[in-house]
Amino acid sequence: MNWIYFRRQFIDRTAYVCAALATLLGLVFLFWILWTTISNGVSAISPKLFTEMTPPPGAEGGLLNALFGSGVMILIAIVVGTPIGLCAGVYLAEHGRHTRLASAVRFVNDILLSAPSIVLGLFVYELVVVPMKHFSGLSGGLALGLILIPVVVRTSDESLRLVPDRMREAAFALGLPRWKVSMQVLFKAAMSGIVTGALLGVARISGETAPLLFTALNNQFWSSDLNGPLANLPVVIFQYAMSPYDTWQSLAWAGALILTTFVLVLNLVVRLFANRRVFK
Amino acid sequence: MKPQDTPIKNSLISTPEPSESKVPAGKSVKIDIRDLNFYYGKSQALHSVTLPIPDYAVTAIIGPSGCGKSTLLRTINRIYSLYPEQRAEGEILIDGKNILRKADLADLRRRVGMVFQKPTPFASSIRANVAFALSYYEKLAKWEQDERIEQALRQAALWDEVKDKLNQSALSLSGGQQQRLCIARTIAVRPEVVLFDEPTSALDPISTARIEELLHELRGQFTIVIVTHNMQQAARVSDKTAFFHMGELIEFDDTSRIFTNPSVARTQDYITGRYG
Repeated sequence: MNWIYFRRQFIDRTAYVCAALATLLGLVFLFWILWTTISNGVSAISPKLFTEMTPPPGAEGGLLNALFGSGVMILIAIVVGTPIGLCAGVYLAEHGRHTRLASAVRFVNDILLSAPSIVLGLFVYELVVVPMKHFSGLSGGLALGLILIPVVVRTSDESLRLVPDRMREAAFALGLPRWKVSMQVLFKAAMSGIVTGALLGVARISGETAPLLFTALNNQFWSSDLNGPLANLPVVIFQYAMSPYDTWQSLAWAGALILTTFVLVLNLVVRLFANRRVFK
Repeated sequence: MKPQDTPIKNSLISTPEPSESKVPAGKSVKIDIRDLNFYYGKSQALHSVTLPIPDYAVTAIIGPSGCGKSTLLRTINRIYSLYPEQRAEGEILIDGKNILRKADLADLRRRVGMVFQKPTPFASSIRANVAFALSYYEKLAKWEQDERIEQALRQAALWDEVKDKLNQSALSLSGGQQQRLCIARTIAVRPEVVLFDEPTSALDPISTARIEELLHELRGQFTIVIVTHNMQQAARVSDKTAFFHMGELIEFDDTSRIFTNPSVARTQDYITGRYG
């Protein structure tokens, strides 16, 4: 035992304690947020949330129109975003694998992935809302879809590239054309990764508020018209939480709890998928 | 694996069988490799290889690790074309047509099937694995397709073991069964040539013996080229043997001759285990 030993031990312990404290700090805030959401949200949860519309100030009501609007827009985003994202991912991982274009696209996609969502919202505002001259659920779904695309591109590209080359070679050696190889052999092998990525993307867009402010806006009433303003959970939470009315505030908490639970469940589903890797 | 009806031939220790009786080996040339050079980026892996591979015979390619034997195999179905940094120069004539020049690669690979070192079943059912390429190339009625699948699985000596579980995942099979499934999948589309790239190196001795038996069954139906690092295997299964060293073809002759009376000293040294 000499001082070098003690010095090393000291450094080791210090590093350990710092890392543990940092983790603890992060967890404290996470649980604090969760606890606040749950404790305030649970008291506001009632069956009425799912049967009644958002109320006028001071009155009782539910979140049915907002839940419906959010659901519809997420659906539009999935319908728009996943096919485009998947095709681009297949291009990057398979067809364009060794090309310059692919690395350029990959780079741009990474930028898009971290672009502030408010910018994408403004983009759709200029592109769709201004020409149409009014806010609409359709433009809201498009904005969310635009946020989803880079997530799906990235995850499908990466999961396809994780498929071992020998699977690719085996399929090509049977004399199959590239599209058939990609569509059937590689997709199957990469499926868990691709689904995981898409679900994580959906979890991400379900809480997006900024792009919806410019596009779907909000709607006090029941509406299933995609061509007009559409109620949605994030914007309702935003407006009601800022309001001075108790009933609105408790609705905002309930909305926050529903949203958090949705994302949590989605993440659990993702874990289920991610654990089912097909190839070794 | 179920016990077999017939005992496994004592092929692991038997001496080379003369095979002239079964196949008119070397009568006509199926794959004519002429002055082939191959490059991985800048490093050259094959040096002007000229090798006439006979029709309807088993040709073995032997040699120490890194001698270019797998590389040679990978040029014959042009699977190397998947990687842009790899290129081949020279000529490979299959039935007189140079496949290095201009070729429909998908069609080439249907005619020249390949079985790899590690079994690579696709993540779907046993039936789907065999039907996969078959259904793409031939529009068959359901019963016809089922018949072809059964035929291929029988040829690959796998039918009895899987006939009751065709819809189960191919990944549930043992390694040896998976490799035979890959063989079935390859011969289902009725190729003219089948390339085997060390098909038994990842398998246990019993599975190896079964695959070798299978090679005996398949000879005469296809032109077979097999790469192996196992000299006894080459001696057991092939009619012709090519010995490679450092990217060059050292000697090519009848298997019986290569293993009893090679004309080049280096071959003799390798075969007697002095290096490699």
